Amino acid sequence: MDLSEKLTISLTILITGFVVVFAVLILLILLIMIYGAIVSKIQKSADEKKAKKEAELEAEKAASAASAQPVTTPPAAVPAAADGMSDEVIAVIAAAVDAVYGKGAKVKSIKKVPQSRPVWSTAGILDNTRPF
Amino acid sequence: MEILQGFLESIVDLYKNSGLCYLPWQNYIMILVSIVLLYLAIKKQYEPMLLLPIAFGMLLVNLYPAIMSAPSTDLVPVADYIASHNGESASYAITTLQGVDYYNVPTNGGLFYYLYQGVKLGIYPPLIFLGVGAMTDFGPLIANPKSFILGAAAQIGILITFIGAIFLGFSGAQSGAIAIIGGADGPTAIFVTSKLAPELLGPIAVAAYSYMALVPIIQPPIMKALTTKKERTIVMKQLRPVSKLEKIIFPVLVVIVVAIFLPDAAPLVGMLMLGNLFRESGVVDRLFKTAQNELMNIITIFLGVTVGATATGSVFLKIDTLKIIALGLIAFCIGTAAGVLFGKLMCVATKGKVNPLIGSAGVSAVPMAARVSQKVGQAEDPTNFLLMHAMGPNVAGVIGSAVAAGVLLSILG
Repeated sequence: MDLSEKLTISLTILITGFVVVFAVLILLILLIMIYGAIVSKIQKSADEKKAKKEAELEAEKAASAASAQPVTTPPAAVPAAADGMSDEVIAVIAAAVDAVYGKGAKVKSIKKVPQSRPVWSTAGILDNTRPF
Repeated sequence: MEILQGFLESIVDLYKNSGLCYLPWQNYIMILVSIVLLYLAIKKQYEPMLLLPIAFGMLLVNLYPAIMSAPSTDLVPVADYIASHNGESASYAITTLQGVDYYNVPTNGGLFYYLYQGVKLGIYPPLIFLGVGAMTDFGPLIANPKSFILGAAAQIGILITFIGAIFLGFSGAQSGAIAIIGGADGPTAIFVTSKLAPELLGPIAVAAYSYMALVPIIQPPIMKALTTKKERTIVMKQLRPVSKLEKIIFPVLVVIVVAIFLPDAAPLVGMLMLGNLFRESGVVDRLFKTAQNELMNIITIFLGVTVGATATGSVFLKIDTLKIIALGLIAFCIGTAAGVLFGKLMCVATKGKVNPLIGSAGVSAVPMAARVSQKVGQAEDPTNFLLMHAMGPNVAGVIGSAVAAGVLLSILG
């Protein structure tokens, strides 16, 4: 291979490689963006429909409950034993229970467990013993 | 006395058949090289999953070259054959030379010869890609498709090294095979080399896997030299969550685009995307597990030992090998630098929203290159987590190097 041949093949590979690799990957970027937008639109409308349906169902339920029981009751009863906690703390605990156990879980009572060890030292012990 | 004579003759025969008698000196050097590689694989844990079988294959072939020998036919005089088989004749073809009839008795090839066919025929690398696809989460790339640009930029190392190889006296096809080391993707390098320059498979595979193992040493100085402290501390916005539907569409879309435009890259990209579809579809759990575990492990063993077995003393100990190792390193460094520089460009274009360090992950080497981006970033700001952002260019690099391989194969093949 003489010098001019070497130069020709080098430049051919360089230019073709550069253009083709970038062209294919840019094409992929565009396609991913387009279908990403389409998919998120479809899912958004599906979510909206679902939310609408749920809202309608709830409204229906509320209407039927109202017609059956004219005397309104408080929506959520405060747990019987709450150890004198504020409503905010009860709400936080109820939300945490709901997040972990999902719907259907009921908070019947909340009791404060007497603490023998400070919270931070408990966390430290947990952290050190977890690997074993 | 006769017994003693027979014993001595047997011992002499054994000695003559032993490696001590016929192994050339190059093989002894290669045995030492393989022991050093074994040490690096076991003690230093440099890519041990591949380096260990490669080093052992190298050791075995240099001790016993016949393990790679192709099947052949022996010419055995018919009279001798019948005499040694209790008068039974055979149905082998007969060749007559100078009035004597000879049977053409076929002999089998060595063990590695048959296992090597998977490399030679380009079967193993796509199967490895099947496993890689099953293990890869393309989520970060789908969430931020612009990182494809960084995956493409890192392939510039391949193209520039090609020029270097041509001017160092390699042929066009050989230069293509050497340049692909810059893709930092072992299976792609083996796939391209087995098609373009099978005679260079040993040195190229060893160089490619060595550099992949050395990513944490080679890349950080280049990354630091090309970026400012301010750029390295850029915190990137959290990636958006990607839905399952998007993840399922991705492999199908990529394979359609790549296979239509670059059919030569179809075996690699096709299997990569099939493995990924196994993963994302969620309906073929058993196939998904087999692709990423058992199948991948079996192929890795076969690929490793047979690639190592191509590195015989006479093939490996040449000036060309040194040139290949040097060119591979250059390819790798240019790829890293190009990735970082494009990262800087994206940083400017997005008004400082992209950390240029993720650009270096564009040279495949999944997930090591992404981990290096994370580490270098954290060295400046310990609260900065670049890993998921770097995974985008990293997996884009796998697709990018397969595309670059397709270009080289279609022009030089």
